[in-house]
Amino acid sequence: MQIVLKDFTKTFDGNTVIDRMNLTVEDGEMLALLGPSGCGKSTTLFAVCGIHRVNGGQILFGDRDVSNLPSQQRNVGVVFQNYALYPHMSVFENIAFPLTVRKDSKADVDRAVRDIAELTHISELLERRPGQLSGGQQQRVALARALVRKPDVLLLDEPLANLDAKLRLEMRSEIRRIQLETGITAILVTHDQVEAMSMCERIAIMKGGKIIQIDTPKDMYSNPRTSFVAGFLGNPPISFLKGRAEAGGFVLDDGSLRLPLPVASQIPDGTDLTVGIRPEHFGRAGDVPISGKVIFAETQGRENLYDVALPDGSVLRSVQPAQDDVRAGDSVSWKLESAAALVFAEDGRRL
Amino acid sequence: MRTRSYMVGLAFMSPALVVLIGFFFLPVVLTAVFAFTNMSTSTGISGGSYVVTGNLLTALKENGVPVEIADALSKASFVVDPEGIAKARDAGTDPAFLAEIEQQLGGRTFTDERLFERELKTLQHRPRSIRDLKLAVDQFELSILNSRFTSESAARQAIATFLPSAPADTVDQIVEASYTGWTWTTANFKQLFSTSDTWRIVLNTVFYVAVTLSFTVFVGLFLAVTTFYLPAGAASAFSMLWLLPRITPIVLYAVMWKWFTWEGGFLYTAADALGLPAFNYMKGSVPTAWTIVIMVNGFIGAAFAMILFSSALKAIPVQQLWASEVDGASRWQQIRYIILPHLRWPILFVTSYQTLSLLSSYQEIWLTTNGGPGRTTTVWALESFNTALNSYTGNLQYGLGAAMALILVIVGVSLSIIYLRLFRFDELLGRPKIEF
Repeated sequence: MQIVLKDFTKTFDGNTVIDRMNLTVEDGEMLALLGPSGCGKSTTLFAVCGIHRVNGGQILFGDRDVSNLPSQQRNVGVVFQNYALYPHMSVFENIAFPLTVRKDSKADVDRAVRDIAELTHISELLERRPGQLSGGQQQRVALARALVRKPDVLLLDEPLANLDAKLRLEMRSEIRRIQLETGITAILVTHDQVEAMSMCERIAIMKGGKIIQIDTPKDMYSNPRTSFVAGFLGNPPISFLKGRAEAGGFVLDDGSLRLPLPVASQIPDGTDLTVGIRPEHFGRAGDVPISGKVIFAETQGRENLYDVALPDGSVLRSVQPAQDDVRAGDSVSWKLESAAALVFAEDGRRL
Repeated sequence: MRTRSYMVGLAFMSPALVVLIGFFFLPVVLTAVFAFTNMSTSTGISGGSYVVTGNLLTALKENGVPVEIADALSKASFVVDPEGIAKARDAGTDPAFLAEIEQQLGGRTFTDERLFERELKTLQHRPRSIRDLKLAVDQFELSILNSRFTSESAARQAIATFLPSAPADTVDQIVEASYTGWTWTTANFKQLFSTSDTWRIVLNTVFYVAVTLSFTVFVGLFLAVTTFYLPAGAASAFSMLWLLPRITPIVLYAVMWKWFTWEGGFLYTAADALGLPAFNYMKGSVPTAWTIVIMVNGFIGAAFAMILFSSALKAIPVQQLWASEVDGASRWQQIRYIILPHLRWPILFVTSYQTLSLLSSYQEIWLTTNGGPGRTTTVWALESFNTALNSYTGNLQYGLGAAMALILVIVGVSLSIIYLRLFRFDELLGRPKIEF
């Protein structure tokens, strides 16, 4: 079911935290709301499920205007960050809860719970209590409870934040598998760009209550609209160089580095610019040689990460296949792919 | 290392232990001791002496002491001995007269007061007034009746001088009965178990505790849940209002209830104006008296329960409430399936704590209905208090009161153990968070 937010506005105690947001989530799509904490992504999610009331605008599920419906009548499934399982009920009772409160017959409840337990691979846990489950199992129970009454919309609020790294990987693909199998429209709220990129069709990046950019993960990564988006996506993160435009290229403030940039030809000389260079575009291959000193080297097994300080003090990050010929303190002369550099104006706009 | 950690634990617990011993174990032990005595105002709590009184002799005659022995004990004799002379000198009798008595009558014994008096009247230095003569005569009187013997042997000896021929077991019976101090006895418990009044009070107590407890829990729950759903400001205002019964001094609180329910009080006036039966509701009828006793105590408990329930409610993770709403639970279903299960421990705690405190509380009843009308709202603790410390007739029966209190302690401790077992309070105890 398509979800549409039209001029959605939310205020808390007179503070407008989200001002006239517009967002459309297509039927069967999984969309990530990505952003740093306090950007309004959870507020948006809670408004969609009805925990927060909207102060302005509309929320539509398909053709149905749910803006003023209480959450009980919206037919949404929500997975909370801490799962919010009911500790005094067994797993079965937890999953059955949405059905028992609407007084479904016992046989129906039983069948529905067992079906969804099978889908989420927790059939053998039904008699246990939440306290006796691991984090990943609790996560599956929360997911099963959210899905058991076949909601129109599935909302996930930081569902993986409380899991350890290995489980997070496993549950990432599990949630995606279940979402695809049920074909449900889903919104995932997360501050983790890896989660957003790996699980969702599209990502909406939020900052200060506004959506900065909505795109597919791939486009968002290679074609960010602002320096904020560029900085938020990518691990290890992009590094920025501050400088100015000069003769169709970019120079650092002390004039020590010169990059030929096609976009810079239309920019008047002397304009302040920021250039973003992803770590994979700085290394042994490229067209612009750059010398600097390695101030930090870290191995991650398959790859090594380096921080290279340029003479003016700016730092470039580099990720390269693992090798042990360079150590912290070494002076290196590596190359940069100038074609992949992202150029931003002083206000963060991509040029 | 282990001993050290035990010592630290002990050091931390020592204030609690001191308080526990001083304010619980010691009083309980003393109560147990008193319970097996017949202490009362008339016996005193220190030792007594041996006195044969006229009443005692009458009672002894009824209990099989031969009449002639009892009558012999009630007779007086007059002995002129140095002790008598000294007593008379202290009483202010003329020394010359005394010297004459000693010289003329020294060592003689008179069994008849008139005979002795006649003999004295013949003496040269006898006093002019009859009153002074009588005073002198009295000093030589030697009687078991109403004279005080500090020890058992003195009493025995005195009886032996009067009744050299009395059988030993009769003497024993008289001596024992003449003791005015307290003695060890189990009569208190026999009396309690044999009086039908006891069962009436037990029933009153059970009714009072059960109904007040239900009132406390239901009103406490209602207040906590309703204030939980109110906006913060209104909620704290309401909580403050409902806390008043708890924080008002108990005497003031009782007086306010009196103003509210007595003749000419608020309810009376209101009922009168509406044409409803108006009377002293607190003491005028049994149902209204019980209603008021239960409300007076119930609101105090409800305030306490409300605080506990409210804090437990605030401890419920808000996501669980959100989740239940998203899952489609109505407000009532949310209370029934999410909130009440979370309040299980506070409810059990209030139940057990209030049972015990209601069992032992009497001051609210004492200050309001005072157990009336008649004795219809008298509960065990109040009866025990009245018996031991507040008797209308003036004879405070410490022993009997202590026996009642001891039964209360035993019931209370047994209930605590049952509650601890039943509700598995030990599961609530966590391991220490800091290891030594």
